[in-house]
Amino acid sequence: MTFVTGAAKRLQVPVATMAMVLVMAGPAAAQWLNLPLPGTPRTPDGKPNLTAPAPRTPDGKPDLSGIWHAEAGRYLDNLAGEGVEVPMHPWAAALYKQRLESLGRDKPQLHCMPHGVPDAMLVSNIPFKIVQTPGELVVLYEEFNMYRQIFTDGRSLPKDPNPTWYGYSIGKWEGNTFVVETAGFKEGTWLDNGGHPHTDALHLTERFRRPNFGSLEMEVAIDDSKAYPKAWKSVTIHFKLLPDTELLEHLCENEKDAVHLNGK
Amino acid sequence: MRTRLAIIIVGLGLLLSAGPALAHHAFAAEYDAKKPVKLTGTVTKLEWLNPHTWFYIDVKDDSGKVTNWGFEMGSPNILLRAGWTRNSMKPGDVVTVEGSRAKDGSNNANVKEVTLASTGQQLFGGSSQGQ
Repeated sequence: MTFVTGAAKRLQVPVATMAMVLVMAGPAAAQWLNLPLPGTPRTPDGKPNLTAPAPRTPDGKPDLSGIWHAEAGRYLDNLAGEGVEVPMHPWAAALYKQRLESLGRDKPQLHCMPHGVPDAMLVSNIPFKIVQTPGELVVLYEEFNMYRQIFTDGRSLPKDPNPTWYGYSIGKWEGNTFVVETAGFKEGTWLDNGGHPHTDALHLTERFRRPNFGSLEMEVAIDDSKAYPKAWKSVTIHFKLLPDTELLEHLCENEKDAVHLNGK
Repeated sequence: MRTRLAIIIVGLGLLLSAGPALAHHAFAAEYDAKKPVKLTGTVTKLEWLNPHTWFYIDVKDDSGKVTNWGFEMGSPNILLRAGWTRNSMKPGDVVTVEGSRAKDGSNNANVKEVTLASTGQQLFGGSSQGQ
């Protein structure tokens, strides 16, 4: 066990914690939580090489495929950045204030309703999977088993579509940046954890980059003239790859959980 | 030994990635980080549910009076990634729970850590504290 103690010291983690992880690692492997995947580049010692170059598809575009999760950060609460106040129309400002003051008590996801775009990607600890195929990029959100389809076959956004929770998305490449336009939203989701609101006039432009194998970055521009007098932009949001693992099923059974929602 | 070390490192990675607070939950609306609780009792019921796992324990005070407490943890998947299995804790097990009490003063709390009395094993509760 000298080895274990050494590792624990280097990583400044109590040995008790290490022992606990050791005890658990066995059963976890049976869940596809930890399995070596052939597409993962490795360092000489066999660990995933997260700083390896980003993979590319046969047509030379960056491949964004992988399982990602948002790094914890204040942008989870405020897309515009900590302390930044986005100018809003009075009704939107009042609603946002109420959401902040009630400490997020009315979050849609507490009642099994979807996170908004891009908020669904910002739930740290609950990852999403990107599957990039010719003609379409699919985003599978682990939370609530939700998905988004981003079409790259050259189609246009639909005219006067039936509003939906995640809207309608088309994507195209600008150099190494994947640019996604989304519109046709239903009202009611929150743009971020703090609760920036939106209306059915929302039009989002997300810009994704994969600087290396283990990192994904995104900025989103928010254009919603019914809620915000001027379009605004998020800070850069950073995602980390979860290598050698798979998504897990996650269906919401909140009807049973709701009785526990005490609070004020 | 090498395999074991590799497992430890991977396991540690999972553990650390489970560390940051959850954006999911309205922790601050329901629990008070300034009201820490540490209770020992016998598990009476487990509910592996999304969005949150719950379990209940019977706690006996000095006079012998038994009170049932409810504890909220992260989602089942967050717990799996933090090293739990569905067999980690069963009704009848004696556990010590550390967490933050519900703001409404009910006998509910949000879990930081669970320690199993039989093995001394400590498990991260997937707490959403910090949001």
